[in-house]
Amino acid sequence: MFSSSLSLPGRRTTGSSVRTQNVLAASSIANIVKSSLGPVGLDKMLVDDVGDVTITNDGATILNLLEVQHPAAKVLVELAQLQDQEVGDGTTSVVIVAAELLKNADELVKQKIHPTSVISGYRLACKEAVKYIQDNLTLTVDELGKDCLINAAKTSMSSKIISADANFFAAMCVDAANAVRVTDNKGQTIYPIKAINVLKAHGKSARESLLINGYALNCTVASQAMVKKITNAKIACLDFSLQKTKMKMGVQVLVTDPEKLDAIRQRESDITKERIQKILNAGANVILATGGIDDLCLKYFVEAGAMAVRRCKKSDLKRIAKATGATLLSSMANLEGEESFEASAVGEAAEVSTERICDDELIVIKGTKARTAASIILRGPNDFYCDEMERSVHDALCVVKRVLESKTLVVGGGAVEVALSIYLESFATSLSSREQLAIAEFAHSLLVIPKTLAVNAAKDATDLVAKMRSYHHSSQSKPEHANLKWIGLDLTEGTVRDNRQAGVFEPAVSKIKSLKFATEAAITILRIDDMIKLDSEDKNTQSYQNAYECGQLDG
Amino acid sequence: MAPNVQPKMKAFETKSKPAEIRSSNIEAAKAVADAIRTSLGPRGMDKMIQSGKGDVTITNDGATILKQMKLVHPAAKMLVELSKAQDVEAGDGTTSVVVLAGSFLEAAQKLLEKGIHPTVISESFQKASVKAVEILEAMATPMKLEDRHSLLMSATTSLGSKVVSQHSALLAPLAVDAVLKVIDPLKDHDVDLRDIRVIEKLGGTVDDTELVEGLVLDQRSAGSGGPTRMEKAKIGLIQFCISPPKTDMDNQVVVSDYNAMDRVLREERAYILNVAKQVKKAGCNVLLVQKSILRDAVSELALHFFDKMKIMVVKDIEREDIEFITKTLNCRPIASLDHFLPEYMASADLVESVPTGTSKVVKITGIQNVGKTVSVIVRGSNKLVLEEAARSLHDALCVIRCLVKKRFIIAGGGAPETELAYQLTQYAQGLPGVEAYCLRAFAESLEVIPMTLAENAGLNPIATVTDLRNKHACGFKSSGINVRKGAITNMLDEGVAQPLLVTTSAITLASETVRSILKIDDIVNALY
Repeated sequence: MFSSSLSLPGRRTTGSSVRTQNVLAASSIANIVKSSLGPVGLDKMLVDDVGDVTITNDGATILNLLEVQHPAAKVLVELAQLQDQEVGDGTTSVVIVAAELLKNADELVKQKIHPTSVISGYRLACKEAVKYIQDNLTLTVDELGKDCLINAAKTSMSSKIISADANFFAAMCVDAANAVRVTDNKGQTIYPIKAINVLKAHGKSARESLLINGYALNCTVASQAMVKKITNAKIACLDFSLQKTKMKMGVQVLVTDPEKLDAIRQRESDITKERIQKILNAGANVILATGGIDDLCLKYFVEAGAMAVRRCKKSDLKRIAKATGATLLSSMANLEGEESFEASAVGEAAEVSTERICDDELIVIKGTKARTAASIILRGPNDFYCDEMERSVHDALCVVKRVLESKTLVVGGGAVEVALSIYLESFATSLSSREQLAIAEFAHSLLVIPKTLAVNAAKDATDLVAKMRSYHHSSQSKPEHANLKWIGLDLTEGTVRDNRQAGVFEPAVSKIKSLKFATEAAITILRIDDMIKLDSEDKNTQSYQNAYECGQLDG
Repeated sequence: MAPNVQPKMKAFETKSKPAEIRSSNIEAAKAVADAIRTSLGPRGMDKMIQSGKGDVTITNDGATILKQMKLVHPAAKMLVELSKAQDVEAGDGTTSVVVLAGSFLEAAQKLLEKGIHPTVISESFQKASVKAVEILEAMATPMKLEDRHSLLMSATTSLGSKVVSQHSALLAPLAVDAVLKVIDPLKDHDVDLRDIRVIEKLGGTVDDTELVEGLVLDQRSAGSGGPTRMEKAKIGLIQFCISPPKTDMDNQVVVSDYNAMDRVLREERAYILNVAKQVKKAGCNVLLVQKSILRDAVSELALHFFDKMKIMVVKDIEREDIEFITKTLNCRPIASLDHFLPEYMASADLVESVPTGTSKVVKITGIQNVGKTVSVIVRGSNKLVLEEAARSLHDALCVIRCLVKKRFIIAGGGAPETELAYQLTQYAQGLPGVEAYCLRAFAESLEVIPMTLAENAGLNPIATVTDLRNKHACGFKSSGINVRKGAITNMLDEGVAQPLLVTTSAITLASETVRSILKIDDIVNALY
């Protein structure tokens, strides 16, 4: 009715239909990832327009690859990406919770409850839920001992393709995370898991993946004539190429005498030769360069018995430099304006060797001096398998990092969600305002996680959730049953069990953040009551005259 | 929709009768007002706007909505301009100004139907708005800048309608502190909001928004091996490039001897080294370099030298940020190497590159003789929330600025509009002739604000507004609609207040726009 007199170059939808439409879009996004939740969740195969195939179980990856059009659905995709960046794990569950919150909110709005009441109820509920997790449901690492780290990693992997070898990979992830531990300048210990180099090589089985206490570099030595193994390596990291020197733009070489031509050519290669000599004189016997190295220059290295590697990735070199104590040099100029190579810029490692894995050769740097480093080489029967393994290991590493840094855990398997839902329901009844209904719906929405877990495992969801709720209710009402709050789902047996003993753990940060993010996303979408889609601008811009002629202005 | 191709001659003939034009204009403008009505007030909803390119904006801010909508009708465009004007003048109340204008137009339309001449209506509206401002000024409560409670109250009210309202306990004091910090004690009747730098960083939640006393740079420190943390920093801000120089004209260096090749290479190194040494000699250990589009602001080689000298380099500083930075650091931008002297540099206790979300920012804290500026880092869990949070914060800052400009507050929640309606009606009764009639219509149309507030909150608009009117007639001047309780209460007790300037500028701007729309009686489409 308005749109005719508003004369917009596009379409406008208002009122409850927008909300329903947005909720529908959000639910359909959640439905896509729903079946991949939990230890018995299944994978998705995604084929893009070029024909590339991705097989994955990771919520953020699935949503990234979908080309979502609807703006409200895009909010959910962004939500999953955010969870991936901030936490690294729990991307599927955050989307499912957000969509369920929206669905239930829409029901409430249809019952003539004002959206703002629903929103303030959700906010209150989220705040209470976070407080409850922090006060009652967290466990510290000290209470549980070292095993909990491995268990948390295992829980994260349980839903992935590598779940069969979860024990093996969990131990690997914990070791890798411990290897990269550093203390920052504020005295805090941090675990930069980005520093763990994860390489994929196809061939052999997943169990033959290995953790290298050192750095694996996905390059080979520049020349076959070079030595394959150097012990007590002195490593030089260069961020420039060792090629015949070319003059800069604007510099022209003008030769009148053919004699001089040769001299110039000679000089061109000599400049580089001098550089190499300086590097070698500094004691370096392993040279890693981001740029190229001429065949001509390789000769000098071969003669000196050094190992030279060209075209390394800069990010790799940065980490190697950190680990070995070397300095990544972008130029050899010193403060006198001359070129030199100082011995202090050379890093040390116990051994550098080339190893043959699959069809490729890798360079492995072991026993780095300054810091320990870790690399994981993943093996798998095919590329899709390797890709998915990489994602799963990344998730698990994130989980380990969160646990190590925050030192708090919650119990997995739907236990937290059910406990929160029971708590919030009783909290809702203590309020007399209209937020009560919204909080009750929030509590109800959280149950979607255990329900989906059970449904994916082909178990009786209603029965299991009811059982869990009764346990959690008595744990919260009777102090002597307080230990029942660790009750969660056992999806292989189809029963409930004490997940604290079973060792199903998730980092508490992950749960808290995902609740906050999901609530915020749901609120963003709920507040919308008007959607305007403008036409793309490449058409002739609509003028007043056109609108007039089309009779749009006859209000 | 498809544009009709018309014969050329006809284009100049598209004239319509004045009445038709006027009603078409009024209808178009009213449609705009109707479209954004639902986003007014604390229970107002948001709009989602997808632009032609597919970018999505979710917002509650009237000015932003209208700007994004790309309206076509010229009269509708006037309302867009109106809301922009309110945004510039007051910063807040951009929705209400448009809603008011729509309501005035509706009143005018009824008056026109009765056969009253547009100029008479226009003049009476002018008179009414002058009178309205007088009444408002009489009912406003003066306040002082030391009165933190009132400032907080106004900021919270402004944030109340936004998606970030749950964070108003954090953002309102932040906005107040930010504005109070940048007030110049000598000229304390205005604040330049450009002195408050708002940086949006994705990641975290709105709760993580923070006010930094000092400077925050969006860029990260350059170089791989250089320091990322510098205590007792001496900061130099340079506007020249540290890279091989270029002449203005096209040049060629001709080398004909192999010895000269070495010299070419060495000269470049020597040149850069000279610059680096001079920087070091001046005692500088943090270097901010302005972005250059002509060549590398800092060449790889220069970075290498600075890394060696343990000088932290932040490059790619935008041209327009230079002014802010010099103001904050109290230093002078150095445009040539000859002027690179210690007295032009600023000192700070700590310069540090800190990770925020997925990227890094450089924070400079503990600046000695710090300028009157602050930086705010806004965080949000997704792009849409982040942008909206920044917009809301801007509104809150503007509200505080209004209070600095004009130190009066009035109650919110529809109270001033109702009071105006009541007093203007009484004033109109004392006037003779048609003018009285127009004035009464103006007064009545002011009630659209409480009406819309009630409607958006899901209350019964008629019952609420009549109740409100009754309260005002009994002399309760600050009674307004309490949206949370769904009742009429004293708004100042509830902590709902707004700056006087927002309301006065809304009424004057709206009535002026309406007057100009009324005076149009012809639209001629020039051929383009």
